[in-house]
Amino acid sequence: MAPPGAGRAGPSPGRTNVFPAEAKEIWKTYGKIQALKGVSLRVSSGEVLALLGPNGAGKTTLVRVLVGLLSPDRGEARLFGGDPRCWRSRRFLGVTPQETGFPPTLRVREVVDLVRAHYPKPAARDHLLEQFGLAAKAGRMTSALSGGERRRLSVLLAFAGNPNLVVLDEPTTGLDVEGRHTLWQAIRTFRDEGKAVLLTTHYLEEAEALADRVAILHQGRLLIEGTPEAIKARVGLKQVSFFAPGLPELSHAVRIERVGDRFVLYTSDADRLVVELMEKRVAFRELEVRPLRLEEAFLALTRGEA
Amino acid sequence: MIRLVFVHLKYELLALLRMPGFLIPSFVFPGMFFLMFAAPYLKTPETALKTTTSFMAFAFFTVVFFQYGVGLSQERENPWVPYLRTLPLPAGVRPAAYLLAGLLFALAAALLVAAVAGLATPFHLPAGRWPTLLAALVLGAVPHGLMGLSLAYLTRPRAALALANLIFLPLSYLGGLWMPPELLPGWARAISPWLPTRHWAELVWAASEALPWPAASLLALLGYAVFFALIATWAWRRGTG
Repeated sequence: MAPPGAGRAGPSPGRTNVFPAEAKEIWKTYGKIQALKGVSLRVSSGEVLALLGPNGAGKTTLVRVLVGLLSPDRGEARLFGGDPRCWRSRRFLGVTPQETGFPPTLRVREVVDLVRAHYPKPAARDHLLEQFGLAAKAGRMTSALSGGERRRLSVLLAFAGNPNLVVLDEPTTGLDVEGRHTLWQAIRTFRDEGKAVLLTTHYLEEAEALADRVAILHQGRLLIEGTPEAIKARVGLKQVSFFAPGLPELSHAVRIERVGDRFVLYTSDADRLVVELMEKRVAFRELEVRPLRLEEAFLALTRGEA
Repeated sequence: MIRLVFVHLKYELLALLRMPGFLIPSFVFPGMFFLMFAAPYLKTPETALKTTTSFMAFAFFTVVFFQYGVGLSQERENPWVPYLRTLPLPAGVRPAAYLLAGLLFALAAALLVAAVAGLATPFHLPAGRWPTLLAALVLGAVPHGLMGLSLAYLTRPRAALALANLIFLPLSYLGGLWMPPELLPGWARAISPWLPTRHWAELVWAASEALPWPAASLLALLGYAVFFALIATWAWRRGTG
């Protein structure tokens, strides 16, 4: 499948068809654990790609390979066409640090300046502090920040170098509602400027709201990638829910969940299921038919039901 | 590249200056120990010169050994370091800044010893001998910094501080950094000539008296530097997998 934006020029001068980030058949083993088993993935300019997967699926390993922190056993990682382990390839990359690690005796302003100093055309410091709601805390030592403030500083630093690709690992974990809103806005603006975002998240709601494309990793393999709609369609199931006193055997439901009087049925053919319900004289009330949420598609896929 | 070294040096120094737990032991203690335990007994210019320069080596040793031994082993567990590795940061920049910061602090601690000696003892070092003395101090700091580095890579952070003290205090004493080796007990005098600290002291004493540097000590320090460089490299590789 051709990702959107393929063929658009990357930021490396004079080069076309360069992807901000690209993984080619990456294998990585830690001791006895095979973390990645031949994963290929592309992040294109002007898109938000959400990397989903249960814990231990290999998301963090893949991100660490793409930003140059780990060498793959086999396969190749590329950042703007270059080797991510070479510092020049990282000139247009922004990453979130873990918020537990800021140098405790440096001030917020100093940490921002330290990171900005590495980039050819960094973003303006005061603008960044304003944008992420830290202007009033600029003179604070990082050790005196609250959990939410540390989280915001960590996200700010990913944008500090005015990069063309930001990699955000679980960006909204620990953010309050306002902080999350600010970040989502920053991500959309950034994407609309033709830049690329790779984010890992546990919140499927977040992926559904933000991502142009979703890639699901499971047990070190790329299970599926595509738009959230395409993934939901790929699972091919619809959800039929209603209240009823009980149910007979149904041939058109692949899974049945029951909470009290309420039934949730998953089916590949909602029309026939409803006809079957009527033929078998099920006394249902408040019938609803709707497509799967991404979360349900995700669960179906990672359980191997697709 | 050079600009980035200075950026990192600036923030390294700033962070250290605001950390009294680091600053006071490594910067102030050598001068303080000198004032309490050595200065009262230094009545002649000769003994003052020898003991002051020994304590200057001790000051260098304190800073380089603890900064590399303990400082680096604690930094290994800090998630800030892998983050810095995702920045467009050439590989040599941080070690260079770290090294420069260590040398600047070591120099400051050694000059504090010299200043105390100038006030409290008949210590006098002719201006022309200062550059060779500083060269001897810096040269001897290399194997001892590498020794700290080996310790950092070989141990767990919690163990590093205790181990560093267990190594650091006997080496200082037996090497003659606190009192001339002639005054050590017999068993200590027997061990002393084998220790890197003793060879460092020999170099420093020779420099302070404008004598040629003893070739055996130069060679021994070089040997120790190679030895600890190999250990550090091996331990570092083992740690990164």
